[in-house]
Amino acid sequence: MDDLQTSEEAAFVAEDVNNIIKESIDSVLLNATYNHNKVGQWTSMVVEQSMKRLTALNKPFKYVVTCVIMQKNGAGLHTASSCFWDNATDGSRTVRWENKTMYCIATVFGLAI
Amino acid sequence: MAAKEPAPQKDYLIEPSFNAKFRSGRAQEIITEVLKTKLTGVTYHADNTSTWTREIADDIKLKLKELDVERYKFVVQVVIGEQRGEGVRMGCRCFWDPNTDSYATAEFSNGSIFCVAAAFGVYLY
Repeated sequence: MDDLQTSEEAAFVAEDVNNIIKESIDSVLLNATYNHNKVGQWTSMVVEQSMKRLTALNKPFKYVVTCVIMQKNGAGLHTASSCFWDNATDGSRTVRWENKTMYCIATVFGLAI
Repeated sequence: MAAKEPAPQKDYLIEPSFNAKFRSGRAQEIITEVLKTKLTGVTYHADNTSTWTREIADDIKLKLKELDVERYKFVVQVVIGEQRGEGVRMGCRCFWDPNTDSYATAEFSNGSIFCVAAAFGVYLY
């Protein structure tokens, strides 16, 4: 009989993911000032670095990583997500990060195969 | 006499048939319609915008479930912000099977708010 995966391996662990995202954002945005020309590059870099480290965890998951970078202007921002999945194995994590000139909100959704 | 075959209980399907795939175009129509219905003519208020965001996300998810594609998991993300001339950028990357999984996005804006909604459909093998 094939070994079925243990429940620890097959569940989405939010704490590991939290660190991965935070470190990816720090490496890209730590001392940066909002720059309209570079912001596209920054979102791509944050998302790609997070994705590289998530896949290195080698878990049987599909991932969706989104990142929103917004200039600090006094404006308000709301995000919400609604998911139709298997609560036992799938999960998500949102990380809010800011510096003096901008906010960054990164979300990871992990869906078990 | 040929016996009637019992209905298959477990299908070890690697991918959905073409008709049963998550259609990005159809999903985008659904999202655009929900945004238009819910957000035309509204102005930004800090107290009720968070309720709208959640309602829109749930609404889109319910409409995607009505599409009745089998074995798909959905993730819907909605971002609503106030228009004050600030710069915003949203990006995403997905680690999945492009054969079976897809996504759709739509934006809406008026004088006082902007809204971006993204729906991702992921196949469960």
